[in-house]
Amino acid sequence: MHGHLPFVRHPEHEHFLEEDWLYEAMTETYIPLLSIFEKLLEEKIDFRLTMTLSPTLLSMLQDGLLQSRYLNHINKLIELGHKESERTRWQPEFNQLANHYLASFYSCRDLFERYQRNLAAAFKRFQDAGKLEVITCGATHGYFPLMDVAKASIRAQVKVASGHYEKTFGIKPKGIWLPECGYNPGDDEILKEAGIRYFFTDAHGLLHGAPRPKYGVFAPVYCKSGVACFARDLESSKQVWSSIEGYPGDYEYREFYRDVGFDLDYDYIKPYIHPDGIRVNTGIKYFRITGSEQKQPYNVHAAAEKAAQHAGNFMFNREIQVEYLYGLMQKKPIIISPYDAELFGHWWYEGPQWLDFLIRKIHFDQKTIRMITPSEYLQENPRNQVVTPSMSSWGWKGYSEMWLQGPNDWVYQHLHAASSRMTDLARSFPHAEGILKRALNQALRELLLAQSSDWAFIMGTGTHVSYALKRTKDHLLHFLRLYEDIKANSIDELWLSGIESKDNLFPDIDYRVHQ
Amino acid sequence: MALLRGVREKIKKAVKAKKEKVMRKISASRTKRKEPQKQERKEVFGIQELAIEKSKFSTPVAVKATRVMPQELPAGYGVDRIVIQVRDSWWLHSYWEVISATWDKLKRELREAFFNAKKIIRVYDVSHIVFDGKNAHRFFDIEVGLDTTSWYIDTGSPGRSWCVDIGLLLGDGRFITIARSNVVYTPLAGPSWITDEEWMVPEEMFARLYGMGFGFGKSSPVGKAWQERMRRALFSGIFSSPGIASAASPVKKAIKERKFWLAVNTELIVYGATEPDAKVLVQGKEIKLRPDGTFSLRYALPDGKQVIPVRGIAADGLEEKTITPIVNKETK
Repeated sequence: MHGHLPFVRHPEHEHFLEEDWLYEAMTETYIPLLSIFEKLLEEKIDFRLTMTLSPTLLSMLQDGLLQSRYLNHINKLIELGHKESERTRWQPEFNQLANHYLASFYSCRDLFERYQRNLAAAFKRFQDAGKLEVITCGATHGYFPLMDVAKASIRAQVKVASGHYEKTFGIKPKGIWLPECGYNPGDDEILKEAGIRYFFTDAHGLLHGAPRPKYGVFAPVYCKSGVACFARDLESSKQVWSSIEGYPGDYEYREFYRDVGFDLDYDYIKPYIHPDGIRVNTGIKYFRITGSEQKQPYNVHAAAEKAAQHAGNFMFNREIQVEYLYGLMQKKPIIISPYDAELFGHWWYEGPQWLDFLIRKIHFDQKTIRMITPSEYLQENPRNQVVTPSMSSWGWKGYSEMWLQGPNDWVYQHLHAASSRMTDLARSFPHAEGILKRALNQALRELLLAQSSDWAFIMGTGTHVSYALKRTKDHLLHFLRLYEDIKANSIDELWLSGIESKDNLFPDIDYRVHQ
Repeated sequence: MALLRGVREKIKKAVKAKKEKVMRKISASRTKRKEPQKQERKEVFGIQELAIEKSKFSTPVAVKATRVMPQELPAGYGVDRIVIQVRDSWWLHSYWEVISATWDKLKRELREAFFNAKKIIRVYDVSHIVFDGKNAHRFFDIEVGLDTTSWYIDTGSPGRSWCVDIGLLLGDGRFITIARSNVVYTPLAGPSWITDEEWMVPEEMFARLYGMGFGFGKSSPVGKAWQERMRRALFSGIFSSPGIASAASPVKKAIKERKFWLAVNTELIVYGATEPDAKVLVQGKEIKLRPDGTFSLRYALPDGKQVIPVRGIAADGLEEKTITPIVNKETK
């Protein structure tokens, strides 16, 4: 599972719409997953999952300001939950749901407080227990294939990420999820420098690699650098992702777009939406997909039944797949099924439940397959073919077009220029101290933040473009000003302190990694 | 797929409606859901990831995609430079900067010839060689406008290495290079023809694994469907001019809607006041009073008859009163 959100921390405003991305994902995805892990651990049910927690996401989960804002957020939801429980008193089917949401908000708050508001620590617990393998990502999710002329930035993305990971989890990351699964031959050398042992590509990344991979996507390969590459299995992906055959579109499942934040009377809902009156998702949604415009009330039990069925179906298909592959390969195949973590819970409300059912079924109901992490697989199967995977991503059309098209292609001129200036700075000041060092470190933070693939992605989709434009521009402008101030030896300490406290991630960053 | 589901057509419609809603979020600031226009869709590789990833960023304020260059960023960085990047197996993107001092110098040196020269980018196939400016396998030129600073290049050849010059093509056929790009490699659009000796790959087995890798199952014509799909996806933009090829992106198509809609719901507010220290039960359930003894309750009101006894009991328990509003609601 790939858990990532861009760095959206805005101390300058009490309520910032984009921070809701984080709060929604916490309530709907991260906390539900964690509470499933807790129960599995409690009941001694063995499982293995590999999960990216991107450094920007981790930084936000560890941030005191965002933690206290989340507490406010969940308290407001609890308040709304109580009101909803009252309001729907004469509509039993909605009333049941209102109570269901209220209970789930309470248990979110409960888990959040049990881990001292730090969900990163919660994830660490399951990694330490040997159930979860947390892997890293690019520091700010920069898309590597479009940094081919800025290799120093790829290095900085990897090294800052692995440093931050080590500080959080006490060990070095074993693997990495390349942002957007974007691989360009040669980038594995940089992973090797950071001690990372494996990464992932999409299916065609490995299948179109040279020489041909003997076992297709069902066994990892080594790049020439010795870093292992695992490739995505599209059959299992499709069962979950596909808009046509995928599970999340089932009629019994909850409808994403019917939220009381939009559906209810303005005066009533006003305290729970944006203070400027902009309607937002609250997370309380009463309808199921239904299959027609006339949406029917959502039924928690029917949906859970469906999730269990789908988990059984998924497991059955993997068993068949593995038996067939074993006959063909005469070797244990590995099936890599990667998904965006936010798919589970946020988009597909029943996703965490489905995962829970799947884990339990695999544990109790069969003997053909087992869950494994990539590092365990490599330990058991150290001998693998040497292949150079092909440049690829898991984005739209499989290559770089999502991040390189009319609305966003202009950013690269600036990102590349800033990157070469950063290298110039790192080389010019090998031993900076004091305020100069602070300015250099902040320059790298700003550059990394500008590189987040999320901005180009958002510009590419056309949704919410103004925010993405502003973020790209602001970080680049901060960088350019720092560059000029450093070169002119006239750093404005007050201004520097201001942006340090705003863009405050990676406190231990070392600008010298950008070379 | 062994999914136990009923009518397949219905599913498709539902999913379609759902997806279109995702897209609609882009184009209009949120007013209210509307019936989506029926529109033919094919599944594009990665589209689902796109929709889901996008849902992470769902916020109601939407701005139309326009190519707005943040004004304060510099237009250039003061060096002659051309950079190329790989968009996919067939296409490259290039951008460049030529500073005015360079143009002035060229004007001085070339005099008359400068004004007859064409500004071009020259695309070299430099596969498997160390390029010295003269030894390319082949090259082709694209004339670009004076103010143009970027271009999408259709190489037509996956699995090759490329280098691009920005320069002037003079009337007498001479080419003057202003800047030379980095070298990039367009990825193969299919499996490699290289099979190493140590690990001889049986053709048939690879073919089967290849098909399965793309989720086609055992029986599908291996690889072909995928390649067909990729070709369709990649060539969807080929007929538009370079630079706007991406306009073929399905997520950016403005979906024109025309379906009138109306939604009406009813809620009932029950409010009142009593002694601040009194106890009040509504339909037998105790409610919380405001410090001044007032209260206000709000209920979704379904069709039918609601009997709502409100019972107030004095703090000492010696006195009580009950008032019972009865509400009939019907919808026509």
